Amino acid sequence: MMAFGKKKQKEETSSQPYTKSTFIVQIIMSVMAVLYIAPILIIINYSFKTKKELYLTSPLSLPASLQLDNYRKAFEKLNLATTFTNTLLYTTISVVILALLCGTTAWAIARCRAKFFKFCYVYFIVGILIPYQALFLPIYIIGYKLNLTNTRYGIIFMYVATGISFGVFLMTSFMSTVPIELEEAARIDGCSVLRTYFTVVMPLLKPAMATLVIMQAFQIWNDYLLASLYVSKKNLKTLTVAIQSLFSAQTSDYTTAMAAIVISVLPIAILFMCLQKYFIKGMTVGAVKG
Amino acid sequence: MKSKNRNTMEKSMEKQYLLLVLPGLIIFTIGLIIPLLLAFRYSFTSWDGMTAEKPFVGLKNYIDLIKDSDFRAAWWFTIKFTIGNTIIQNVLALTFAVALDSGIKAQKIYRTAFFVPCLISALIVGFVWLKMFSNVLPALNDLLGTSFNFLLFGDGKTVLSGLLIANNWQWVGYWMLIYLAGLQSIPSELHEAAKVDGAGAWSRFINVTIPMLAPAITICVVGITTGSLKVYDLLVSSTKGGPGRASTSVIYQTYATAINGRQYGYGSAMSVSLVVVLLLVALIQVKGLKSKEVQQ
Amino acid sequence: MKKKWISMILSAAMVATVLVGCGGDGQPAAESPTQPAANQEAENAGEESAGSETANTDEKVTLTVLAGQSTTDAGIEDMIDEALAEQYPNITLEWECVDWGNDFQPKMQQYMQSGLPDIMIGKAQDVATYAPQGILGEIDSTYLDRGLDAAKTNVTIDGKTYGLVYNALYQGVYYNKAMFAENGWEVPKTQEELQAIIDDCNAKGITPFASHMVDTWSIGNVTMQFMMNDVFNNDAQWGDKFRAGEVSFSDDPMVQTAYQYNKLIFDNTYPETFSTEQTDCDAKMVMGEAAMKVSGSWSIQNFLDIDESFDFGIFPFPNQSGDSKLIFEPNITVMTSSASEHQDAINCVLDVLTGNKDLAVEIYDYTKTASMLKDVSPTFANPSQTDIDKYAADGMIVDVTLGNNQLVWGGFQEENAKDIVAWLQGDATFEDALAASDARVDASSAN
Repeated sequence: MMAFGKKKQKEETSSQPYTKSTFIVQIIMSVMAVLYIAPILIIINYSFKTKKELYLTSPLSLPASLQLDNYRKAFEKLNLATTFTNTLLYTTISVVILALLCGTTAWAIARCRAKFFKFCYVYFIVGILIPYQALFLPIYIIGYKLNLTNTRYGIIFMYVATGISFGVFLMTSFMSTVPIELEEAARIDGCSVLRTYFTVVMPLLKPAMATLVIMQAFQIWNDYLLASLYVSKKNLKTLTVAIQSLFSAQTSDYTTAMAAIVISVLPIAILFMCLQKYFIKGMTVGAVKG
Repeated sequence: MKSKNRNTMEKSMEKQYLLLVLPGLIIFTIGLIIPLLLAFRYSFTSWDGMTAEKPFVGLKNYIDLIKDSDFRAAWWFTIKFTIGNTIIQNVLALTFAVALDSGIKAQKIYRTAFFVPCLISALIVGFVWLKMFSNVLPALNDLLGTSFNFLLFGDGKTVLSGLLIANNWQWVGYWMLIYLAGLQSIPSELHEAAKVDGAGAWSRFINVTIPMLAPAITICVVGITTGSLKVYDLLVSSTKGGPGRASTSVIYQTYATAINGRQYGYGSAMSVSLVVVLLLVALIQVKGLKSKEVQQ
Repeated sequence: MKKKWISMILSAAMVATVLVGCGGDGQPAAESPTQPAANQEAENAGEESAGSETANTDEKVTLTVLAGQSTTDAGIEDMIDEALAEQYPNITLEWECVDWGNDFQPKMQQYMQSGLPDIMIGKAQDVATYAPQGILGEIDSTYLDRGLDAAKTNVTIDGKTYGLVYNALYQGVYYNKAMFAENGWEVPKTQEELQAIIDDCNAKGITPFASHMVDTWSIGNVTMQFMMNDVFNNDAQWGDKFRAGEVSFSDDPMVQTAYQYNKLIFDNTYPETFSTEQTDCDAKMVMGEAAMKVSGSWSIQNFLDIDESFDFGIFPFPNQSGDSKLIFEPNITVMTSSASEHQDAINCVLDVLTGNKDLAVEIYDYTKTASMLKDVSPTFANPSQTDIDKYAADGMIVDVTLGNNQLVWGGFQEENAKDIVAWLQGDATFEDALAASDARVDASSAN
């Protein structure tokens, strides 16, 4: 219902009359947008400067030449081929598992009226509030007891464990937009619960899954803490962990760091621009339904 | 007979549903709940995080916590940071959303501009603003011949505002999108009806828009509050909790105590106290805001 | 009925998990009998290999290495890999490089739960932290003997040496030589002479000290430098006496003098020091804005990066009695696990590190640090080297590990530095800062 209403609404807002006050708002927002973008432009500007230029010229001046030396150094220092592949691998696999797992979990919670499932819902939601940052050592202790530390599946396991709360919350909210009639029909046809899910429900969940995937993807991509905890071996490191080492005490090589930042943000920014629609749609789920 | 049949069918379905919930439940329990319980257990010990023995000390850690002035200061900073964020981010995000929804052109470009910062890891955001405050903005002073004090991270009295700026820069776009989505789902008939009744723009905003946005407000307020209480990454690469301890958050203090200070048991008591507060705050907020939603 | 069962199972599972945690107490006890055995084995293996270093080169071994580095060290792992591949192609190192200041201690904590890597690279003060836990292996004298004797003192506990010190940093006041010559300033030996230079600087519009107090670690670092010459110089056991309750920060004027030097620096440095990062701070000094900087060898890389012809020297920060010594800090320190199954291979790595002079020179040149190996000296141009040699020849150098072992960095010096900042910024009184240091007495030792 809401989904249909929203579409109609959008067209109407865009057909609002463009008055003088709209123009003023446009100007103000343009200024704000420029202010918001400015730090990003500064990063890009820095990333082309040489180390000497950094001290001898104003931070606001443009680099003397578009030299790519910092990018070359960033590639090298970050061990980019490895760290990039690792980050991509962890992110992709984690979000796929999350999408599958949260879908089934949320569906079961939404459809089953037994008290246990109500309890499960609360149990999962509580997880959103647990600062895993504060559980540093116990998380590690669990990890090594199960042989998860410094392994690829270990970090993926942790991303799933820490992301599942939010995923279940998101998916359960979305579930109310999935018409139950289709499921009932499938059930009358004798489909098992699992089959009903995969043939009838999951296709309907695709938009919510897309949202979940995107939202988790950028969190996992940017994660620093869990990655530094679970995968610090050189061949397992992620991009953020590698970048952090460029900031550390005593010498911050920050022209290289800036280039590294650009490299690390680019993929996720492109992903967002391509999938903006899903992103916003998914955020709507929670915002409109509550 | 029939009802019994139905009952067994429901039972078997329940079993299958259970099968769907179980994997997630197990992973979640192992990855997050057990560590939480472990932390709870350690909080009653004087463990240093290294040795095999974990001497039991009862409630000593919790009693010490109450007397610990550094810990109180960390809470005080965290609370100020949280309140500041909750107010500024909500107001700014809503304002931006309303402005974007007012029919201006090229909405998509603005949306992207405000949103992009939150794609960047908080660690990097902290580093970027460190550079902004200490190098870039002072250079702007030189350029314009002005003398604004941009060295916000350099003084215990201004470091909070500096961090608020950095944090808001990162997150306003995110919450703005949620408000925007909420705004766009309000049926225009409601506004039309209010207009017919002679309500002005402001009164329409208060009486129609805000109530209709209630679910979005709930999400944003709870999200921002709980997020701010957990602040850590942002500090690691910007102020490192300084100058002095002026920007030491609860989690930062927990780290310094448990890891660098080798007082793991005591640090665990700190994290337990944080978890309890987080749960309480979220519970109160959700209860309070939800009850308002229903009333409307 | 079923629901009840499920919830019971679930709660049982939770109880069980708590018990697993509790089991942690019992478990190491069960494991401990095996540990000495492993120790024994390792030691035996060590003896064997000492006799025949290159004995079994065909067996493929992978060693795990945890390296706590500062940024100046990052990159040496590739040099070591390369040298090792040439000499012992059967051994590969699996590196885990982390930031020493932030991540080394947490990683060590983790590994103490799960088993140590074969080799750990940290700082000399780490030996005092970890050796008493009984987890570090003794370093074979074959390799220790290739290093300077001075390197051994502070990594030896009860006659056993647990760390191989590889290089050293020097700490003191770096000064702009050209500027000193121009203004006719002599290297100050006493506080009065230093004050005279400061006054002259201020009169001429030069900032006396470059500093970057935004980094709390730098305050902790210089405070230890001050304490070495004004406290430990007079009383080598000050830290132990502090723990015994004989002396305290609030009562001892020597310590207070050391703390007060921070104020002297703060009053005579950039007004924006709390927003100035090290690289910017060093750049300003190179460009002639400041005359001196209390720092360590890690600044050299920065200085030379900005201007390769920058001419600078070093002198110890003058103390009250005018007999300050230049401070040296053993830096890269190699430790080994006592429980490693690959003691042979570990010794091969130690052999490469201590025996391969080309590698050593390459590393020293890269990190701009001083050698701790016999007959090896770095070849990079270090303008402050003549000063260092002079103090070394006069026996006027002191190892800061003495102080760092008695008053540990993490949880003590680091926290005290935060109180000093609060005092400098006017958020706390001097007495508050001293009292806070006193209150931290339990955290002042690693054990």
